[in-house]
Amino acid sequence: MKPPPLLLGAVLLFWGWQANLLWLGAIMGALVESALVFKARWDFSDEDFERIWSLCSLLLLAMVLFAFAQNDGLSIFGDFLTDRDLNSQRGAAIATARTASNLLRWLPIAFFPFLMAQTFSTRDSIPLTTISHILQRRWKLARKAGENPLPGRGFNVGFPYFCMTLLSASFHEAENNTYFWGFCGFLGWALWTLRSRRYSLAVWASIIIVAAVAGYFGQRSITYVQRYIVSLNAQWLARFLRRSDDFFQSRTQIGRVGQIKNSSAIAIRLTPHQPHDVPEYLREATYRRYENRIWFAGSSRDDFSSVNEVPLSATNQPYWPLVPERPARSSVRISCYLDGSENGVPAGLLPLPSGTKLLTNAPAFGLKMNTAGAVIAQGPGLLVFDALYGPGPTYDSPPGTNTRRANRPDSNRLGPPRPPPNFQPGSDENRRGRGWGRRYVEDEDRDVPPEEVPAIEMVLEELGLTTNTPPREAMHRLAGFFNDKFSYSTWQRGQKLSEGETPLSHFLLTSRTGHCEYFATATVLLLRQLNIPARYATGFAVHEESGDGYVVRFSDAHAWALVWDNLQQTWIDFDTTPASWIEAERRGTVVGRWFRDMWSNFKFELAKFRYGQSNLRKYILWIVIPGVGLLLYQIVFRRDRKRRRYRKQDEAFFANWPGLDSDFYQLEKQIATRGITRGEAEPLGDWLRRAVATPELADLREPLEELLQLHYRHRFDPLGLNTIDRENLRTLTSRCLEMLTAKPATAS
Amino acid sequence: MNPAAAREVYQKIVANISRVMQGQAGPTRKLLAALASGGHVLLEDFPGTGKTTLAKALARSVDARFKRVQFTPDLLPSDILGVSIFSQRDQLFHFHEGPIFTNILLADEINRASPRTQSALLEAMAENQVSVDGERRDLADLFFVIATQNPVEFRGTYPLPEAQMDRFAMQFTLGYVQPTEEVAVLSAQVTTHPLEELASCVTLADVTALKRAAQSIRISEELKRYIVDLVGATRTANGVQLGASPRASIALMKGAQALALFDGQEFVTPEQIQELAVAVIAHRIVMQPQARFSGLTARGVVEDIVQKTKVPA
Repeated sequence: MKPPPLLLGAVLLFWGWQANLLWLGAIMGALVESALVFKARWDFSDEDFERIWSLCSLLLLAMVLFAFAQNDGLSIFGDFLTDRDLNSQRGAAIATARTASNLLRWLPIAFFPFLMAQTFSTRDSIPLTTISHILQRRWKLARKAGENPLPGRGFNVGFPYFCMTLLSASFHEAENNTYFWGFCGFLGWALWTLRSRRYSLAVWASIIIVAAVAGYFGQRSITYVQRYIVSLNAQWLARFLRRSDDFFQSRTQIGRVGQIKNSSAIAIRLTPHQPHDVPEYLREATYRRYENRIWFAGSSRDDFSSVNEVPLSATNQPYWPLVPERPARSSVRISCYLDGSENGVPAGLLPLPSGTKLLTNAPAFGLKMNTAGAVIAQGPGLLVFDALYGPGPTYDSPPGTNTRRANRPDSNRLGPPRPPPNFQPGSDENRRGRGWGRRYVEDEDRDVPPEEVPAIEMVLEELGLTTNTPPREAMHRLAGFFNDKFSYSTWQRGQKLSEGETPLSHFLLTSRTGHCEYFATATVLLLRQLNIPARYATGFAVHEESGDGYVVRFSDAHAWALVWDNLQQTWIDFDTTPASWIEAERRGTVVGRWFRDMWSNFKFELAKFRYGQSNLRKYILWIVIPGVGLLLYQIVFRRDRKRRRYRKQDEAFFANWPGLDSDFYQLEKQIATRGITRGEAEPLGDWLRRAVATPELADLREPLEELLQLHYRHRFDPLGLNTIDRENLRTLTSRCLEMLTAKPATAS
Repeated sequence: MNPAAAREVYQKIVANISRVMQGQAGPTRKLLAALASGGHVLLEDFPGTGKTTLAKALARSVDARFKRVQFTPDLLPSDILGVSIFSQRDQLFHFHEGPIFTNILLADEINRASPRTQSALLEAMAENQVSVDGERRDLADLFFVIATQNPVEFRGTYPLPEAQMDRFAMQFTLGYVQPTEEVAVLSAQVTTHPLEELASCVTLADVTALKRAAQSIRISEELKRYIVDLVGATRTANGVQLGASPRASIALMKGAQALALFDGQEFVTPEQIQELAVAVIAHRIVMQPQARFSGLTARGVVEDIVQKTKVPA
């Protein structure tokens, strides 16, 4: 069953138009239809078709790789494997969909050689065994078992290819109906030649039209349903996709019921320059205002100032100063991924030791920091740098900075501070956490949300702390309080909160168990209630040695308090979470972690390679090309290889035959040097007849023929040669050889 | 009979046949190789190329019983094998021998008879005997069938069953002769057919001796292996549904022995095997239908195998 003339050409053109590959479609269509003009046909065997099919499969494979690489499949799936959160799942799904749609769009290219082979072959059908390796194998096994299976049915590639091209064209970019009507037209055209002659043309045409119209409305409604579902899905997804951590807000898990899970993938690697001299914490950001379980950067949100790199000079390497001209005592090399992006450039919060003075060897494009001590870097996806740190002033702003300016545009008004006019306590707007500035706050670093005050006061009363307690004493007692009376757990039982109770007060007064966010938040608020400025810091705890450095996992993410030390005029880390938290976070089997670490190391090396030098895609291409080349070579020469192997067995068999010591072979070699070579399948007699037909060997004819007779007797007569004849063979050969060497070779 | 005398018998027959058949030395040589190796021959060619003439020329050259059966669609097995007829005189069944009880049988246009009749020849050709009415009857020591047929695609014919094809040691064509030779054919037949004047030149005993001499030709293990390789390759070749049987290997070996005798050698050389390979093997191969339609022929497959299999040298 062959498609009608011009149908394939037209559908290829249509595909080219729909898939934005117009020129390619036109060329391919013209090539196929050139068969109408160009009448030469080739006689391809089944084996040729098998090879072309293998070539097509290879092309398809190469396309899969190319499409995968083009859509950043490797890095996205790497993320997906290390960290299965919703974001990476979504990324992987999108990459898969893109790869698949590219691939489907390119399908006609991959199978075009097969179509051409069919078009220009003398055969109308190709046996199914050429394309199905299962059938082929079954068939061969049956042959080997001595059965004689009937050869399978044949098929013509034309219509399958036609259907595939239409399918590929459906992955079009244009949002209009051209595809649908084109599709109907082509189906009508194809069916026209196959229509049943039992019914009149009118019946046939009306059925086609009814089918087309029904199809049109059907696909329209499917589109609507799909759009509706997509919009539902988007709303639903949006609830999860908000990043939990960024520089201006930290959405805590306080009040959340159930298990908190953190990936044990490696987030950061540290290499100290002096052994074991590593910071205890790496801070990413600090937050100043707590409202409805969310910590906000507050007024520090928008006050980013950029840091300029000090260029290379005679005394210094280039460096990024964070605190001007302070000596640093320790230095550590930090490798971290910049997993966000800003204006299309990878960017992210840098995890830094507290008291970091400057960064060196950092290949960042730009660096900026805010008054709450968050440092954002723009740069390659993986940033490796040295952080120099030590005690002394930090780059965080002192307490109370900027509160008024950022919080109240009308701060120049005199009189006691008032809430803004549109403020409604407990309103929906407020609860969503967007309105960080709704509640009036005088000093962000001393602010306690009113709904938390009763519980805080009760705890302070329990501890006997007042605003008169010296800060050192207060901190000491708080640390002891949390350590003795609280326990660490990542599991929160679902409990109905009573009237006026908040998750935090429930933690402080009732449950007394929770994770680091509870401890840090409670500590900050307790200190503030004592009029000690405090901030909420997030980042990572460093505790796991690995090789000559340290690794930090996502499960090492931590939150703690920063307390203002009035004497030293600096912020100090104050962590009240019970030390058992590190053990509690260490989850998963050792083997599982080992595999994840291996993958992480591999990815890290790959990332260094990628960001250190050049684009990974190029390397993929360079890996793919020789692979495809090798496979192609195997396809083209596979048959030869098989035969060669077969021959080798034979040679082993032949090697034991009698008479192989014959001197005649020297003669054969000598004559072959004159250009008269013998094919493997050519008997010596035929070859010699050819040889002596040349004028230069004509006079050697008689001795050569006599020699051949002797040689044949030596080789093929089971009786063999007697000693005299054997000697004859030897002497006659050497005489002939002499005569041959005396003759100058002219013919060749 | 020594090889030289046997070779002389061969040359006499060739000379005699060449008086009738112009320019058909190759087919004659193969025909005689089949005769000397005890095989049967199927000549397939277009009408008028001299198949029957060649068969008759051979029959006349040998002083032996010769019978001819013209195969027709209504021919029955008993027309070939013979039949028992009840005699009124002595109230007994008497067996009347059919034309198969002869030395040389010409089965002309064999594919015009039904497969039932064609199959009547199976036992006779393979085992030199026939079973009629449950009784075994031996045929003559020299029993040589020359069958002719038109190419199977022609109308009103029944292609020979595969089993029957396998019974023929060789199948070959005569082909059209060169124009000068065709002129000589015309000249020879201006008045009478030269076949009419052909007299026998060898006796039945001579032919039997020729057969025996061919059997005494030596063949090395290596060449036997070569034969087996050639025949074996047809079983795995592309486009082949059914390869050649071991019977083909035997026929090829025996035919090559006969050729070696004709060439005056005492042992077989690879050339003789190659010369007969197509004639002996090709007609036993059953091709796949698709392969047939794509223009691949059994002959082509065997030629390809011969050209690709390493020959002992």
